[in-house]
Amino acid sequence: MTDKHNSPDEPVDVTDPKLTKFDIVKEGLRRDGIEILHYEPAFPKPNTPEERRVERFIALCFVIAGLGALGFVVVYAFWPWHYSYGQASTMSKWYTPMLGLCLTLALGGLGIGILTWAKKLLPKEELVQDRHDGGSSEADRVIAGATVSTVLDDTGIRRRPLLRRALLFGAAPLGLAAIAPIGALIKPPGDSYYHTGFDAKKYNDGKPVRLMLKDGTELKPSMVAVGGQVTCFPSIPDGATNKHAESPTLLIHLRDDDAAETRKNAFSQYKDAQWNNFVAHSKICTHVGCPASLYEQQTNRLLCPCHQSQFQVTDNAKPVFGPATRALPQLPIDVDDEGFFYATSDYLVPVGPAFWEREA
Amino acid sequence: MKRRKFDMKQLPGKIGGELDDRFKLAKPARSLMTKVFPDHWSFLLGEIALFSFIVLLLTGTFLALFFEPSMVEVHYHGSYIPLKGLEMSKAYESTLHISFDVRGGLVIRQMHHWAALLFVAAILVHMGRVFFTGAFRKPRETNWVIGAILFILAFFEGLMGYSIPDDGLSGTGLRIMSGITESVPVIGTWANNLLFGGSGYPGDVIVTRFYIMHVLLIPGILLALIGIHVGLVFAQKHSQWPGPGRTEHNVVGFRMFPNYVSKQGGFFMLVFAVIALMGGLFQINPIWLFGPYEASVVSSASQPDYYVLFLEGLVRLFPSWEIHLWGFTLPAVFWPAVIGMGVAFTVPIFYPFIERRFTKDSAHHNLLQRPRDNPTRTGVGAMVTSIFLITTISGTNDVIADKFNISLNAMTWAGRIGIVVVPVISFYIAHRICLGLQQHDREVLSHGIETGILRRDAQGRFYEVHQPLGAPDEHGHVELEYNGWVVPKKMNKVGALAPAIKGFFKPIEQPRDAEPPAVEGEEPKKEVGAGKS
Amino acid sequence: MAAPVRHRHRWRRRLGALARFVGALALVGGIYTAFAPGIYADEPKQNFDKLAAEGKELFDNSCVSCHGKNAEGVKGRGPSLIGVGGAAVEFQVNSGRMPMAKQEAQAERKEAVFTPEQAEALAAFIQKLGGGPEAPDKKWLADAVANADVASGGELFRVNCASCHGFATGGGALSSGKYAPSLRDVPTDQIYEAMLTGPQNMPVFADNQLSAEQKAEVIAYIEYLNNDRDPGGPFTLGRFGPSTEGLAIFLVGITTLALATLWIAGKS
Repeated sequence: MTDKHNSPDEPVDVTDPKLTKFDIVKEGLRRDGIEILHYEPAFPKPNTPEERRVERFIALCFVIAGLGALGFVVVYAFWPWHYSYGQASTMSKWYTPMLGLCLTLALGGLGIGILTWAKKLLPKEELVQDRHDGGSSEADRVIAGATVSTVLDDTGIRRRPLLRRALLFGAAPLGLAAIAPIGALIKPPGDSYYHTGFDAKKYNDGKPVRLMLKDGTELKPSMVAVGGQVTCFPSIPDGATNKHAESPTLLIHLRDDDAAETRKNAFSQYKDAQWNNFVAHSKICTHVGCPASLYEQQTNRLLCPCHQSQFQVTDNAKPVFGPATRALPQLPIDVDDEGFFYATSDYLVPVGPAFWEREA
Repeated sequence: MKRRKFDMKQLPGKIGGELDDRFKLAKPARSLMTKVFPDHWSFLLGEIALFSFIVLLLTGTFLALFFEPSMVEVHYHGSYIPLKGLEMSKAYESTLHISFDVRGGLVIRQMHHWAALLFVAAILVHMGRVFFTGAFRKPRETNWVIGAILFILAFFEGLMGYSIPDDGLSGTGLRIMSGITESVPVIGTWANNLLFGGSGYPGDVIVTRFYIMHVLLIPGILLALIGIHVGLVFAQKHSQWPGPGRTEHNVVGFRMFPNYVSKQGGFFMLVFAVIALMGGLFQINPIWLFGPYEASVVSSASQPDYYVLFLEGLVRLFPSWEIHLWGFTLPAVFWPAVIGMGVAFTVPIFYPFIERRFTKDSAHHNLLQRPRDNPTRTGVGAMVTSIFLITTISGTNDVIADKFNISLNAMTWAGRIGIVVVPVISFYIAHRICLGLQQHDREVLSHGIETGILRRDAQGRFYEVHQPLGAPDEHGHVELEYNGWVVPKKMNKVGALAPAIKGFFKPIEQPRDAEPPAVEGEEPKKEVGAGKS
Repeated sequence: MAAPVRHRHRWRRRLGALARFVGALALVGGIYTAFAPGIYADEPKQNFDKLAAEGKELFDNSCVSCHGKNAEGVKGRGPSLIGVGGAAVEFQVNSGRMPMAKQEAQAERKEAVFTPEQAEALAAFIQKLGGGPEAPDKKWLADAVANADVASGGELFRVNCASCHGFATGGGALSSGKYAPSLRDVPTDQIYEAMLTGPQNMPVFADNQLSAEQKAEVIAYIEYLNNDRDPGGPFTLGRFGPSTEGLAIFLVGITTLALATLWIAGKS
């Protein structure tokens, strides 16, 4: 609470040789509408043990920072860094942690040093500055308004409706032209929503599409034990890749009584979809499309790990819990003369999440 | 000719002179250096976001030197044994390359991801500070709007960063994004095709498209808006807490140089250090465990980064209400994901104007409000926080169910009921607490501080002696106005007892240092003794 | 006074039944021996029979109450074990899931009650009763896992196992309180037996679907993940993915920096 007594209005002549540096600074503050409420050196008496202790601490921080940075460079250059399999005794497993630690020391040391300097050694000060906010003066506003108005008058846009309309006609299409190239991104949805890789006509020259494993092995009934399930794909080129992301299918081998129940419950269009005790359902969740593939072989439930929809396989894979509305589409299957599973047709309804054009 | 003497001491002055000749810097530089900033810990939260953004730019540039945003299929021949020989996209392969075969690549990648999480976390905390203290009121609505937009951009920036490595987890996330896009009425399938390139999900362009948005478009907008955001704080001068000598028309604090700048510089180093520490010690997003993205592969506990969990939770909790109209379908996921996201992103933008409609308050506010002084706003904030927490917890309910042995179905139902009930309760409780705190402040102002001294009057009744905070008028009443700032509630706060010893775990100052300072302020002090009152 | 009597009755009945059973066995065995003496030359078979007899004894003491006298199952208490095979028995017993502590939705891994040798005996008994998948030969399995292609195992793991057990083998939730357990610290032979037999709600991965060698590959991959120290730092956050990472950024990052702001802005 010092220094309140310099004259508030009259500018001080800063070239006056009698003024101290601090006087000049104060004059600058005054001109910016700032007043010093409180200003005192952190250590009024220089070189006290306390001050030197703070100094030493800050110096230590900077030294640690320097060592950390050097350590970072040394570790970066010389520590074994190539990935190798192993436990904690493997040196390369510590490459990333060591780099992180060294960098932390370097940055943290610097940060704590600077902050301690700011907190402990800089003069303790409190100043108050006028805000001068809340808009301009009335005169300034009037002048600004008049200026804008004259600018508009000079252009004559207000009294030349023809030019106004012509400009609008000339400029607006330019905006359209600017966004038109986005059109390159627009592609019609086509019929991809209604076909999967099991579509015989589209992908297999009309021959029924067999079911295969990821490695290309075509599936036979003997390959899936009772209580087992297998993720299968259309046996077409690239059938198991992301090119046919709608096609992954889950083939499930039910127990006798479960299979009988499934047959009993089957929707009319799926009466022949089941082959003996085998059913095949789309793996793509009807909610938002994650693979709903957590199969519980005793409860015959399929769980989707993304939003926890649960589907009852023995009841047309209808949802019994969670946010999904529709049953997982069933793939009608049969076994051909050579003993391989094949899809008797593509999925009867669109696979995966719902969309606007989709019929109920 | 006499050679001019070169004087080192004259050099800075000479340079300054030359610069001023050209740019007329003397006055603006002086004003800048002496600009006054208020000091409070809560004003530093936004800086965490600013500084993590700088770290993101630095680490991101390093990653961009090695990352290849391409979905072309290649075979992996890098160092990580369990993926050797597998087919994968170039994007995933190059991310593995950064993690295992670029010297120091993993620590930079992890720092980048941690900095991203910190960026969004700091934005959330900073937004909370601005909200609960009413710092968004006139004249700072514009900056609130910009801040809310920054959050949206940060959200999508993070989401895209999560998506482009094309690993098993990010591909699952992309598939959900695709499903959500498809759910939009009328244009859903078109929008999905626009995003994924027209040959169905996942196509072969999405990583490339997200990459250019992730490294150029969104960071560019972020940078520009952050510039305006900080510039406006600068131009409008920071708001401040009420207190002795502080008014709506001044700002009390310290000068930009040297105090403010050194604290900011030091804090930047600390933020950077914490990111480096986490990048080095805490493993994040181990993509090598997830494998390349395959449409048939999924993992239990598939989750987005935490700031997307509130949407994930909403989607998990929303019932299976699909609507069929005139042969068209409105999927259930449209409501929580598209409408939910729309509400979560747009309502905050308009909050200052919504509040103003109710309060009809068009005054300038440079003094902050304590949360207790606006119970309704604090209640609304508590409500929104509770919704955010419930949906976020529900977004990870499968992990919680598994690790704490709770039924998954029970977790979902708890979330469904909780999201209806808890916000209302939160509003009510927060509102009540605010009113209670207000009342206690007023009580202390008019009756004084509880001293803990019990006395017994002539009738034998006990009562507690209160230390009044001001001089009583002729009726013996103390009339002190609440000025929006902390009311002293302990005797050592008014200097009547020795101040509490400072220190976190052990005293950092000796009791003799902590003698009552000569407090100057409005509160007059009085001796309190057991003998007189 | 009645109770002890009844108790003795039950005991006597059981002893009687056992005696009759042993007698019948001896008789059948004797006749069998008389008509097929050549079998005695088969040393392993003899061991197996001995083992099975030991197993039967254990079974009658510890398993009979839920699985029935001849392992035909008891309605509402325990399923029939005829045809489940020795692999299933060894998995359930060695992982401590059987005998169950109490009736619940899902048996949990706990300290095994029987020694591996006893489990083998029980397995032999069940194997003898109704056949079924057998536990793998330990030495073969160890060799096969040691020489397996980890990358191929990883591919199989992600498409077949990760959906329930998670990318990082940590397990995950199933419907209504059920769960897929963590695969960390599970002995290799138990992982093999689980794939082969599909315990509880786990689907069966029979040898026609996932050959013995492929199973060994999957196990090799699981072992690799479990034994390879994470290169990204000592704190792996349980490899749970983004959920614990989100927790960490608030508990470590924001907390540290919020404390730092308090220190920076605090009065010195």
